[in-house]
This record gives sequence, structure tokens and C-alpha cells, in this order.
Amino acid sequence: MHNIEAKDRVSMQVHYDVSQHYYQEATLLQEREYQTWLETFVAKDIHYWMPVIERRYAKDKRAEPTPYDMAIINDDYDELKQRVDRLGTGTVWMEDPPSSVRFLLSNIEAFHTDKEDEFVVRCNFITTRHRGQLEKSQHVGGRTDLLRKTEGGYRLARRKIVLDARVTEDKNLYIFF
Amino acid sequence: MIDMDKLVDIEKSTQSKQVFWDQDIYDRELERIFGRCWLFLAHESQLEKPGDFFTTKMGEDSVIVVRHTDGSLKAFINSCTHRGNSVCTADSGNTRSFVCNYHGWVYGTDGSLVDVPLKERCYHDELDMSTMSLPSIRVESYRGFVFGCFDEAAPALVDFLGDWGWYLDTWMVGAGEGAELIGPPSKSILKCNWKVPAENFVGDGYHVGWTHASALEMLGGELGGLAGNRANMPFDELGIQITTRHGHGFGVIDHAGIGIHEKREGYAKFLQETQPGVAEKLGQPRAELYDGHWNCTTFPNCSFLYGTNTFKVWHPRGPHEIEVWSWVIVHKDMDEDTKREVVKQAVRSFGTAGTLESDDGDNMVNSTRNNQGRHTRANNMDSRMGVGHEGPHPDYPGIVGSSFIGETSYRGFYRFYQEIMSADSWDAIRAKDEQWADCFPNKDYWKDRLAAKAKSGGQ
Repeated sequence: MHNIEAKDRVSMQVHYDVSQHYYQEATLLQEREYQTWLETFVAKDIHYWMPVIERRYAKDKRAEPTPYDMAIINDDYDELKQRVDRLGTGTVWMEDPPSSVRFLLSNIEAFHTDKEDEFVVRCNFITTRHRGQLEKSQHVGGRTDLLRKTEGGYRLARRKIVLDARVTEDKNLYIFF
Repeated sequence: MIDMDKLVDIEKSTQSKQVFWDQDIYDRELERIFGRCWLFLAHESQLEKPGDFFTTKMGEDSVIVVRHTDGSLKAFINSCTHRGNSVCTADSGNTRSFVCNYHGWVYGTDGSLVDVPLKERCYHDELDMSTMSLPSIRVESYRGFVFGCFDEAAPALVDFLGDWGWYLDTWMVGAGEGAELIGPPSKSILKCNWKVPAENFVGDGYHVGWTHASALEMLGGELGGLAGNRANMPFDELGIQITTRHGHGFGVIDHAGIGIHEKREGYAKFLQETQPGVAEKLGQPRAELYDGHWNCTTFPNCSFLYGTNTFKVWHPRGPHEIEVWSWVIVHKDMDEDTKREVVKQAVRSFGTAGTLESDDGDNMVNSTRNNQGRHTRANNMDSRMGVGHEGPHPDYPGIVGSSFIGETSYRGFYRFYQEIMSADSWDAIRAKDEQWADCFPNKDYWKDRLAAKAKSGGQ
């Protein structure tokens, strides 16, 4: 599902467009415009996935995790929508006062695929969350996306999020990456 | 000086807030609780072939559990007997031996020292390797769930679980080949005392409606009515809560087993098809519980939700921090699609990013952190909900509380906590086997309630 072959690198123009799209996405999420993000940035066939990755010896030949295995996030569109809708119920006590989440994206690399309107895009991220008086957490990792170009702009069709930390140093990961 | 009778007041159903904060209490917990109780290590499905290993923790000790070449399960401390370095640094895998990175000492899958570099020339062949095995830990399994214990004097695992095992059988034995865990576990840090989530899972049906209001409102279904505690529900008719010897306990919401799962066709069908078999194999009382939603803690630090199917271990990291490890429970006899459905749903609700899990963290952290204040921790916590509305039941062992919302199993948890923290040895604990339930004095609660019900023509 996430193994879509990356072909040639995209042009400077497409790279610029994709980068701008990502910054817009980050801004929406930072401003907690989750509904807008879902409606205008996310494709209906999204698979939004954060696998659990063990620390294994280099010689260990067991397969990499698939979306059928244990995961941290493993959402289709409806499930992602529930995540978003929950934040709008008014009874998410831990988000009132709201957290401050910030996304730092870098190393954006975009590639063509077999389909003209689809691109594989990889990037690195540092996501920080500050809450309450002193609470802060930081998550470092990489994203591999499938972006689809539509008349309404790019839509996110796949997102695989890999955290570098084996043990998450945060009370939860109810964050959109 | 630790005065357990003062810290846990059984009569008043209170606990000092110090039990969530003080270093000396925590040190004694490591000695007397984590050093004496059976602690969950792994599931046998993770350890099928000789050489399969899994690294975990018992209290703050790093432990390896491994399938030895003779087919038995072994566990030992993950620390070289030479200078103490780790002999295994991977989460899991398959190996013939464990090699220390420091000087290259090699241990077999039974923990015995099998090779030492330069043994002849530098130890002059005078090292008695038979005395240098990795310290071994007792290992026993219950229905495929593997536990370890540091204390040779502790009862067998099956006796430590006692009546709790009778209940566990409902789903561990009930359906066909039993249950297994799907991993690898996700792991996260929560800055709370280990007992806060343990007590929450053992008996906190009360917080569900309020803490999880947002998620329940979204989900609807069997548990949707609990959201915000708005619905007028006859709580004494909707489930029970149970505590057993050694502090284990759970609450059941009747027939709400898969209420948290959004996509559940496969699971619902599985439960429906297997429930008659549970009645045949184990009898009607347990078949009644089989499709319920269970919140549970196996004393001290292994908790799970059966129905929602998250399975967790709270590894302590000092008095104010834990590592949360989360697996998913599935029945072995489920088809692959159903297993995948259950894993996906369990992760969505109670994984590290879960829609319900995320509600709990703040409560647990703040319930711990506030006790940094010396005037705060000079006070007590209260767990008296449902006192007197509990007692022995004709069909169910242990002490049974009137509803799934109540604090019967909190009281049972802290009663044993006080007992094991006070006791010098397992012999002292065994000596009280007959009296443990004396602190639940209303012996006629269920007799009276069931008689009244029969009289009024109820079931």
C-alpha cells in the first residue's frame, strides 16, 4: 500500500509547489484548522500510518511492519475524521487550554511515480508540543507521502510516519504529523 | 519510617498521597512488590522457536526471556556477570547465544556462561564458568501468558492468580485455542506513579463517562450513553466489579464487550459464535461475562481491557514515571481479517495515539505531580464508593461489588498493597489467606439483593 516506486526527481517548479503545499499544511495544523485540513488537503482514500518499529539486530531478517501489523496510528479517512471531530466536541479536557504544536519540515525530496498526477514525497520533521506551564515534547522522524495533484490542489493519499525514538517521550501522540 | 497502616487506611478506604510520591515507599515497592510478585513478561506466541527471545523489565531490572534449546522458557537478568554490561540490546529476535559487547563473554539460551575470550591464557584456566551464569528468574506460564518472579518463596503463578485465573479463563480458555498478544508493543513514557494507571484499570468505571466524554460522544454505540454522565442509567444493573486475593481485580460492563470498536463485524460474529461454547466449557456465569467489557489489573502492574483488547504493562521508572508498553489481545481462532480488524481498532482507541488513551494521561500525570507539594501530599485520597454494597456472590468468586462503577477493586488493590508492603515474607502473606476478605464485612449483600430480586420476579 505504501510501496509506491519513486521515479525521477521532480522539476524545480513542482518541488517549489510541493514545498509550499507542505508549509500551508503545517500552518493549518498549527492553527488547529483540522476540519479545513481534512476537507481540503486529504484524499478520501487516505491511509495515514505510524508503524511500531522494534530495535532489532542488523542480521534479523524478519519483514518490515505492514499496515496489518501493530501500529501507533493506522487510520483510513473515516478514522482520521473521527480524530478531527473529537477535537471539536468541546469535551477534550486535555486540549483546553490548547497545546501549542509546531512543525519544522526539512529535506523535502519529491519524485514522479508511474501515475502522472501522483508524487512520492519524503521529508524529515521535528514536531514540538508545549502544554500547560512547562510541559514540552519533541518528536523527530521522517514522512513518506503520496501526494495526488487535483484541480483543487494537492491531496494527501498516503502518509507513513516513522518516529526515530523507540520509546515515545510523551503522554500520547494525539498529534497530526 | 514507613507506617503502612497509616499510609493505607483500610477502614476509612483512604490512601495517603505519599504513596504516589515518596522515594522510600517506592524503594520498598521494588523490594516487596516487584521483587516478590509474578510480573508479566511476554506471550508464548512471541517465543515459539528455540532461541526466540524478548527483552523486557521487571521493576527496574532489565530481563531477557528466551525459549531454550530444550523447549523450556528461561528468564535471566540482562547484565553480564563480569562487569555488568547488557548481554542483549535488541527488543526481540532469535539467537543461539547472548554475547556481551564489552569483553565478549558468551551466554547460552539457558543463561549459562559458555565462552570467555582468553580464558586459558589470561584467566590461567582458573575461571569456574559454572558459577558465572546470568542470574536466573522463575518463569511460569498461564494459558500462554508468561510471567517471571524473583522470589523463590512466592506461590506458583497459578496460585498467585488464584480466583483471578478462574475469571481469566473466560477468554483465555473460553474460545477454542485461547488468546494471544499481537506486538511488537508500542512504548511511551508517562510521568506518573505506576499505581495510578494500575488502580485506574483495576476498578475505575467511574471516570469513563467524564474523562472519555468526547470519544464516547463520537463513538455512540453501547457505551455512548455514558458520555458526560448525562444518561439516566441503572448502574447497579449494568455490570459488576470484582476483587480477588492478591489485589487483582476488574470491572465488567455487561454485553458491552466491543462497544469501543467502530469496525467490528468480524469480532461481533466471533463472540456470538463462540459464546455458547464458553457456557458449555465453563458454565453460564462466565459465559455471561464473556461478551462484557472488562477493565482489569493483574497485581501489580499488568492491565488490560478485554473487549477493547488493549494489553498494557506499566514499568516503573522511579516513583514519578513509568514506561507504558501496549500490545493487542486477539483470540487465536479468529481469522486473519478479524485479528487485523481488532488490532486496528484497539490501537485506534487505546494505542499511544488512541482517541481514548489520550484522555487519561493528564489525569495520571497531575494526580502524581501535585504531590510534589508537601502540604498536598499530607492529605489522603479516597476510594469509598460502594462501601458495603459488595460481598461474596453465589456464582462469582472473590468479593463482588454492586456495579461496574464503584471502588470495590480499588479497595482490594490497596488492601493487598498494604499487606505485601507490610509483610516480611510470603509466609506472612499465606498466613492471612483465610482472612483477606474480612475488610468487606457485608457478607449478605448478594444474598439479600438476589433474594429481593427473586421476590420481585426479576432475573
